[in-house]
Amino acid sequence: MASDRSNTEDFATPLKRLLVVILCLVLLAIFLIWRIDSPRVERFRSQVIDSVVPNMDWAMAPVTGTIKLVRDLQSYQRLSEQNEELRRELRRMTAWKEAALQLEQENAKLRDLNNVRLDPRLTYITAVVLADSGSPFRQSILINVGSRDGIVDGWATMDGIGVVGRVSGVGRNTARVILLTDATSRIPAVIQPSGQRALIVGDNTSAPPIDFLEDPGLVRPGDRIVTTGDGEVFPPGLLIGQVAEDPGGRLRVRLAADYERLEFLRVLRDHGARRVSNPAGLILPEALPDAGEPPVAEAEGGDG
Amino acid sequence: MADNSPGRLWTMRALYPGIALLVIFVHLLPMQITPSRLAGPDLLTALTFAWCLRRPAYVPALAIAGVMLLADLLFQRPPALWALLVLLASEFLKRRGRHVRENTFVAEWLTFAATLLTITLLYQALLALLIISPGMVSLTVMQYGMTVMVYPIIAALSYLALGLRRATPGEYDHQGRTL
Repeated sequence: MASDRSNTEDFATPLKRLLVVILCLVLLAIFLIWRIDSPRVERFRSQVIDSVVPNMDWAMAPVTGTIKLVRDLQSYQRLSEQNEELRRELRRMTAWKEAALQLEQENAKLRDLNNVRLDPRLTYITAVVLADSGSPFRQSILINVGSRDGIVDGWATMDGIGVVGRVSGVGRNTARVILLTDATSRIPAVIQPSGQRALIVGDNTSAPPIDFLEDPGLVRPGDRIVTTGDGEVFPPGLLIGQVAEDPGGRLRVRLAADYERLEFLRVLRDHGARRVSNPAGLILPEALPDAGEPPVAEAEGGDG
Repeated sequence: MADNSPGRLWTMRALYPGIALLVIFVHLLPMQITPSRLAGPDLLTALTFAWCLRRPAYVPALAIAGVMLLADLLFQRPPALWALLVLLASEFLKRRGRHVRENTFVAEWLTFAATLLTITLLYQALLALLIISPGMVSLTVMQYGMTVMVYPIIAALSYLALGLRRATPGEYDHQGRTL
């Protein structure tokens, strides 16, 4: 018995070991290729996501819907527990008040929607959120429009009110949106009354800090933050949020977009956006700085 | 041992990618889009290692590599790095499992924790070395802790729901080899 066993193991083990070694080499090669030529592998990644996630969608929608329904039911249950202590008339009043408040909120939101003044050049495509990043380290979502619908890397996305993020990674039927809260997100912005320029730097918290601010003394909590056209990253004038100060005294953004319930997104068509075609396209200037172009940040602030 | 029939072996082999897909699916559900301060356990890795320690035959290297690579791609991690580390660790655990099996559960748990710690540190070191933003350290530590805590639950669930127990010494598979 013992010899029989060692025979079969001797036969199988080297093959298995060879398989493991080959697998390791393949994985290592994928990782190194990704490190060297990231855009190509990222394109492969979006193709994989594109073929896998929409297949899950038929199951995803009902499951998400059910969980939301249960959450809603739980909240209603809590509401009724509170209301049980009240008298019947008072309860009826509360229900009416609730309905009135909801209508008022909806009204306010719709009014706000109407007031969003977009550049007439900008049109948008509405998309449904398919999935999130699935990991606590990355803040991104997957939407159900892709290159088939003409989506291009780098376009801005908004909910009805504020900027949500930036398209990064487009498959045929899906596209990924890197949210402003992601640790890799950097958005140039201008703070409204003072015209101060800054970067909104995502750091994996729900209120991204404001960085590279010229003069923090001119900025007050409550100021509006909108995008600039700097670096041709985003179309100018989209609302990002309001300035808020955290307990540590650091200036942060209270985002205008409602990240709690993102179901629909608008992807803004922006044909002026710079396409990222070569690896260093966004970092290096197209013309060398010897041309001597003076910084015109102050002058642009006037008409921005 | 009817338990060790080829039918069961292949069922369990097919079940592993199935469960993995289910876990990935649940992770991808767009339930929480705001960044959370809590990091949940890495269920896929815990599941893989638990099965490697208990029944190496149910998790072939090819399945592990495929599942982990898919998870890397879908979860926006640097592709193939975590998969590579998990594959190497799982081969180590498969070999190690034979010794651990004769010991108590605590020994198994400690082996799991030590292996996971090793590959987590390696992962962070490699990311730092290659200048890839590794995310928040606090979240990584929390995820490690949660994964270690969740291991007994996964082992218990695998045992209760799927009958995946540790092979006793002197147990043979359908070809007469010791497990």
